[in-house]
Amino acid sequence: MAAPRGWRLVWQGCRLLHTEPSAAPQPPAPLYPPVVASYTAKSKSAKRRRLEYFYQQVHEAPSIAEKLRIYGRRQRLKYVVYPQTFSLNADRWYQSFTKTVFVPGLPPAGAEPAGPGLPDLSELRSLACDALLQEHFYQRKRERPVLYREQQHVPAPFLTQLVSSLTAALGSCNPLLTTSCLDLKPQVNFYWERGETVVCRGYRTGRIDPVRFQIDDKPHIQIRVPKQLPEFVPLDYSDPGEVPVINHKPDKLPLFKRQYDNKVFIGSKVADPCSYGHTQFHLIPDKLKRERLLKANLADQIEVTYRANGIASLFAWTAAQAMYQGFWCEADVTRPFVSQAVITDGKYFAFFCYQLNTLALTVQADQNNPRKNICWGTESKPLYEAVEGNNVKGFNDEILLQLVQFLLNRPEQL
Amino acid sequence: MASGKVLYPLYQLGNPQLRIFRPNFFMTLVRPGVTQPEDTVQFRISMQMTRVDVKNYLEKIYNVPVSVVRTRIQYGANNKRNHKNQKVKKPDYKVAYVQLGQGQTFQFPNLFPEKEETPEPGSVEDIQKQFMENERQRQTADPRRGGVTDWFGL
Repeated sequence: MAAPRGWRLVWQGCRLLHTEPSAAPQPPAPLYPPVVASYTAKSKSAKRRRLEYFYQQVHEAPSIAEKLRIYGRRQRLKYVVYPQTFSLNADRWYQSFTKTVFVPGLPPAGAEPAGPGLPDLSELRSLACDALLQEHFYQRKRERPVLYREQQHVPAPFLTQLVSSLTAALGSCNPLLTTSCLDLKPQVNFYWERGETVVCRGYRTGRIDPVRFQIDDKPHIQIRVPKQLPEFVPLDYSDPGEVPVINHKPDKLPLFKRQYDNKVFIGSKVADPCSYGHTQFHLIPDKLKRERLLKANLADQIEVTYRANGIASLFAWTAAQAMYQGFWCEADVTRPFVSQAVITDGKYFAFFCYQLNTLALTVQADQNNPRKNICWGTESKPLYEAVEGNNVKGFNDEILLQLVQFLLNRPEQL
Repeated sequence: MASGKVLYPLYQLGNPQLRIFRPNFFMTLVRPGVTQPEDTVQFRISMQMTRVDVKNYLEKIYNVPVSVVRTRIQYGANNKRNHKNQKVKKPDYKVAYVQLGQGQTFQFPNLFPEKEETPEPGSVEDIQKQFMENERQRQTADPRRGGVTDWFGL
């Protein structure tokens, strides 16, 4: 036992002797690979090394699809965030999950891109009224709708018809719409990590783990375009407000944890040229109907439902678009991403605009990150008062005009 | 008697007292083990109560605005054994989480706050406290003996 120790001392002495003179002339390149921490050990440095290796793998992924696959490869229990939720005051929670500031009102209108002027408003109004009367008057709906499927009966076909006819009519004014892609009931998924928690069950009890979230959204219609919409405000815009801080676990919203495939999807695969979002149209489900909430004495939750839906859906869609361009939490966005949404129950319309300024939501990436995502939104207003016979009472042109403004949004040059 | 309508006799002096009929349900307000948001209150309720019952109970009897009630059943542990090595089951109970409406908040009160009282000098409590302290001082062992029992030695 003594001999090897003695040898080691001699060996170390030799190394010291050798290294001292060689330190002066600065060797150009190290002869040996750097000494790195173990990859498999149970230590902090090993854990850091594994994390760095994971980051490196994502950064060096040859394609976007491969990058998304590696990003969502590890399955753990994650909170499933439902954009259309029954939870009370969900909008504040969703803001904190997505680091979003909600600003009432719509964003400052930029310079109107030059192009052919607005078509005749009366023409558009007659299109909207036709779509409305088609469902309410011309068409004979025999079967009574199934319980909680009333939205599928009248408002859903109305919205589909309204959007498709309006986009067709506005194609001449906005050439971006002619090249756009209109999806019916597409899937939108986003998976992200935000905050940290201590694992409380299982063999990993006591370890620090990021809190994972998944949104599986299904807008009624969405319009994707090949060119990105212009930003509403610059990337480093001074913050218009504070992101609410919530010191409770998301279980208390309540949200529930499930484990399944982590998916990031904008409604089309990566190869699709229409990889930027234009506008989403969401239909409020029957369970969150205005009358139902009023009956349950939850009148203050009506707008909250719209807001929560706007924030969650738009964050998921816009962030997924950013990930399709190769950005992720360790490679934050270099240009803002923008999407719009219209949320309706067939009669009341609310408008939302979202600007994604940051994807760095994990604790490590969020340390010195002043950027915040911004969501603008209006309160819901009725498009019409009532449909009596074959005429529409009290049609609100403002809402239609706002809808047209949303559809006319386009970048400067095409 | 008219069907469906109960006629109560007029109260006269000497009759039994007027009574209020209330459900034979009991709700216990408990301190939440895991902290809840400010608008959420936690109860232990009868197993037969539904969330509709909870809402009606709080709204009709106590005039508390309730927006949403969530309930769950907590399984009582059955891993305990008695002296005959038989399993002893703790009873299950139902837990209700009530979210208050109209922006009301609730925080469970601190039922046993720490009392920081100094008795006034000369009073009975002060003398008693001093006496107890002296006694305690006298009964502590002499540190110079190093833990050796007091009957050992000269």
